[in-house]
Amino acid sequence: MASQNPTDSTLPEKNLILVIDDDEIMRLSCEQILCKAGCRVETFGKGHDGIRRLREVRPSLLLVDIKMPELDGFEVINIVRKLDPDLVIVVITGYATIETAVDAMKAGAYDFLPKPFTPSELRMIVNRGIERWHLIKETQRLRREKEEVERRFITLVSHQLKTPLIAVKQYLDVMFFSLQSQLPEKAVEWITRSQVRLGEMLALIQDWLALSKIDRGCYCDRTANTNLSTIVDDIIQDQRQLPSAAALTFSVALPPGLPPVKGDRVSIGMLVSNLIGNAIKYNRPGGSVSIRAISGEKGVTLEISDTGIGIPEECIPQLFQEFYRVQTKQTQDIPGTGLGLVICNRIVTELGGSIEIRSREGQGTAILVNLPVAELQAEAQLGAALEAKSGESK
Amino acid sequence: MSESKKVLIIDDDRDFVNAIESLLQDSGYQVRSAFNGREGLHLAKTLRPDLILLDVMMTERTEGFFMLQEARRIPELRQTPVIVISSIYADQPIFRVSPEAGWLPANLFLPKPLDPARLLAEVRRLTDATCSPVTQAAGGRRES
Repeated sequence: MASQNPTDSTLPEKNLILVIDDDEIMRLSCEQILCKAGCRVETFGKGHDGIRRLREVRPSLLLVDIKMPELDGFEVINIVRKLDPDLVIVVITGYATIETAVDAMKAGAYDFLPKPFTPSELRMIVNRGIERWHLIKETQRLRREKEEVERRFITLVSHQLKTPLIAVKQYLDVMFFSLQSQLPEKAVEWITRSQVRLGEMLALIQDWLALSKIDRGCYCDRTANTNLSTIVDDIIQDQRQLPSAAALTFSVALPPGLPPVKGDRVSIGMLVSNLIGNAIKYNRPGGSVSIRAISGEKGVTLEISDTGIGIPEECIPQLFQEFYRVQTKQTQDIPGTGLGLVICNRIVTELGGSIEIRSREGQGTAILVNLPVAELQAEAQLGAALEAKSGESK
Repeated sequence: MSESKKVLIIDDDRDFVNAIESLLQDSGYQVRSAFNGREGLHLAKTLRPDLILLDVMMTERTEGFFMLQEARRIPELRQTPVIVISSIYADQPIFRVSPEAGWLPANLFLPKPLDPARLLAEVRRLTDATCSPVTQAAGGRRES
């Protein structure tokens, strides 16, 4: 930006400026002055024409007259703000009152140019506006760059942390598997403890990585959609093979034709697998895990309930706090990072849904997750409804 | 039994390779190892292994993905069973369930660290198969 060094007479090249003014002489003189200064200029006599063009190009600056027939300057600003929030808008008016200036600024204009103005005044104000536009763009670029560096840093650090732990755990796992019968009892016991502790550490890094990705907004894809039935089936198949799930019965009741929910497979998978994992972990031998879903007006509600140890009432409000774990005699030997439900809550929030915990100590827990229906689906349903309606009226 | 089956391990962590090599050798496999994708591809061409264990995230970040795609273009490696191993996707339960096939033409995905019993069972299953189940469309087998 500084390298372009825009001065009064020379403006940065290739800056596209749009002029919307119903006065032809005004349009022509603006075009002449700004073209001479090295800008590309497009002029429009009507607000609608200018707005149409704004849907196709991304100019640096918009000069707009306030008083115009049909669509006036304020209306143009309102629409343009939504189309391109970064566009710098300069208002031109013959009614140079403080009130109009304030109103234009409030509506989102950056500067104000009273008529009549000299070529030099126009260049100066356009110049300032373009500088402002470049500043906005530069700030955005730097912010994106910073976010990208941070994101990579987190991924890389977690990989660096995991690699040595994996190597150590792999040695122990293979040693335990191959040499168990030759090892003294104490060694077997200590290796087992080391494996557990390393597993906890790895799970913690994994969860921490997921959490920082969610917080940075680079985990959940809100534009994707996911079929809950497939995910639930896959995860149940996967998790019921766990040793802790051996003595449990599973029941899954997902109605056919359940609409896809908003969110990508990875986020939804993480959510569902954490919840089913908890229902298994905090269960009791001979207990059950049941998964149901209903589709309603407010999206799809997935209920994952268990007949496990339940949660003391006073602990429920704290379950979404990072690293919080219910400390009772029954939970002390169950491994966990204290981040699982935090992750679930953040994913659901990111996707615009809600999560509710119902539990009775000693009886079991039910987690209800409400997820918005995928937009495509919602649109299709709306389309179908409209079609049906128009069919009826015929 | 699979005494003479050849397994190639491609992973940049020598300690990890050491542990897995020992496990597989004890079970009667001939094991060779490579520590990067290029070396691995070269060894795969000359060795013609019965199975490849491939880490996706080596020094060059996603080297394994490219190595695997490259290997699938070589006629004699097109049908070689490949188990992709990684710690990066271990936090994504979906990868534990069914590895995506289209972009990752592997037979199986296993998270690191590997469960020895599970690894041996899968290696035995994949090397015993008379014809490899990898096809363009269904590269990802379900793990169950």
